[in-house]
Amino acid sequence: MKLLTVLFKKEVLDAGRDKRSVMAGLYYAIGSPIIMCVLFSIMLKQFASPDELKITINNADAAPALVQYLDSKEIIHSTDDDVKAITLEISADYQDKMREGRSAQVTIIADKSDDKLRKSITELERALMRYNSEVASLRLLTRGIDPTVMQAVNVQLHDQATPESKGGMFLGIATLSIVLTLFYAAMNLAIDTSAGERERNSLALLLSHPLSSMQVVLAKSAAIAAFSMLGLAIILVVSKFAYALVPWQQLGFSVNIGFDFMLLCMVIGLPIALMSASLQVFVSFMAKSFKEAQTYVTMVLFVPMGLSMVTTYDIATEYVQWLPIAAQQHAMIEFIKGNALPWPQLFISTLVTLALFGLFSWLSSRMLKSEKVVFGL
Amino acid sequence: MISVNNLTKKIGDVNALNGLNFSAQNGKITGLLGPNGAGKTTCLRTVFGLLKADSGNTEIDGIDVAKDPMQAKQQLGLFPDPCGLYERLTPREYVEFFAQLSGMSATDAKTATADVLSKLQMDDIADRRCQGFSQGQHMKTALAQAIVHKPTNIILDEPTRGLDVMSTRILRDLLLLLKEQGHCVLFSSHVMQEVAALCDHVVVMAKGKVVAEGSPESLCERTGKATLEEAFIELIGSDEGIAA
Repeated sequence: MKLLTVLFKKEVLDAGRDKRSVMAGLYYAIGSPIIMCVLFSIMLKQFASPDELKITINNADAAPALVQYLDSKEIIHSTDDDVKAITLEISADYQDKMREGRSAQVTIIADKSDDKLRKSITELERALMRYNSEVASLRLLTRGIDPTVMQAVNVQLHDQATPESKGGMFLGIATLSIVLTLFYAAMNLAIDTSAGERERNSLALLLSHPLSSMQVVLAKSAAIAAFSMLGLAIILVVSKFAYALVPWQQLGFSVNIGFDFMLLCMVIGLPIALMSASLQVFVSFMAKSFKEAQTYVTMVLFVPMGLSMVTTYDIATEYVQWLPIAAQQHAMIEFIKGNALPWPQLFISTLVTLALFGLFSWLSSRMLKSEKVVFGL
Repeated sequence: MISVNNLTKKIGDVNALNGLNFSAQNGKITGLLGPNGAGKTTCLRTVFGLLKADSGNTEIDGIDVAKDPMQAKQQLGLFPDPCGLYERLTPREYVEFFAQLSGMSATDAKTATADVLSKLQMDDIADRRCQGFSQGQHMKTALAQAIVHKPTNIILDEPTRGLDVMSTRILRDLLLLLKEQGHCVLFSSHVMQEVAALCDHVVVMAKGKVVAEGSPESLCERTGKATLEEAFIELIGSDEGIAA
């Protein structure tokens, strides 16, 4: 235990003085919430409906009632520069047909393959449909028929979504960036302390001393995990302030990062940090050189990233929800939404995470007993 | 005391050690002399347990390194080649760290480190980071690390490489002092003058085997040559790999 403390202190001191690697990790922790914040703001702007839909209405004089109705639904005729490429053509015989109580023809002229227009076209179609049924109801009334005969099924929708639950995807992306910190914040340090230490020839000297390779591996993993946790703390604080700047009110929900959420992240993040550290050390020792280690570690990190993505885009099936990282991230999302924590999944996945930490540490310590690994033969 | 018994070790297709046999006594400086590629470093690495011998064993104070590495390494100081510094630590931090790894308490390690740094006249660089050190400063730091915990047995792999005259003299005096104090000093070298001046016992090895051993004088006598260099060439049968 004493040796472990001595080793740990040296690892932290040595890694802490590697300013460039430490900063590289911190850039991620500081930068990613800010980038997310900008991204979310842009996405929200796209989601939110524009104030007015400006289109071209030809022969508007022929249908003053329709134009007035559309106007009340914020669809107006305009000749401004930002007018949408949608034309509503009112037929020449519109007034005559309406007077006679027959179908008057209006034509929407637009390019439906244009993705940006599709939403606006649907909006116009809906408005016209509602106008249709309003006029039709009036016509039935004048003929002494109850307009509700037109409604065989009366559809009502009770939207049970709470503001927080609506933000599912945003929450997913936000928690994804938080979970990934545990893998990326100390990646350079992990490679430096393992593959780097071997390349600088100090690993052989270290192992010539009366200590076990397990102690070396555990001290290294603990030091890397400490830096990952520092990254996690920073990303949580930056997220708290960055996400407060996103105009969530446009969608009627918000992502609030409170102190209790930060605490939860730190607690469920610790086993992940240890596992991630031991995994990166293991992969780095397996590689023959520093450069090789960088390639392998980056490749291996696709696995946790994949698990996290699966949760983010809510394609987690029953089984995936029990896996490490996916389950922990799911718990974070549920916590922000204000739902109960998925305790069984969280418990099992944390156990599996810790078991993986043990496995990777054991494999690394076994490798350090091999002269091939120590001398890169 | 360090004894090497019938060591064989194959690295790839090369027989790096081929039945190596010798011992280094306490209170004596033993020099391992051999041309490049003779197996000196492989032999030393086997002694401190980093390489596993295919057959044979090494003992430190009578403890088999392969069987009880922790116990065997307690009384071992090591100066490896390359010396493996932590560039971001200062010599003081570096030496203190290894002193603690060798079992000293934090306070003991601190005093022992201060002692050894002043003994090696390193006080001016003791608190500067090792990055950018000269070869000689590297060597001194590694040497301080090897002797800080005052081990009975000290192994040095090519310690004079890259040292200037002043540092070489410091090293020489230090090794002689260690010998006087009764330590067992084993070092490898291919610099004849060094070996001739320092060693009580010389082990000449080539191709993983001991070719001859004895005091420098007895080796000269046996070959009928005036200098150790001439004797060495006579013994290994070529002038390959002799650097001065």
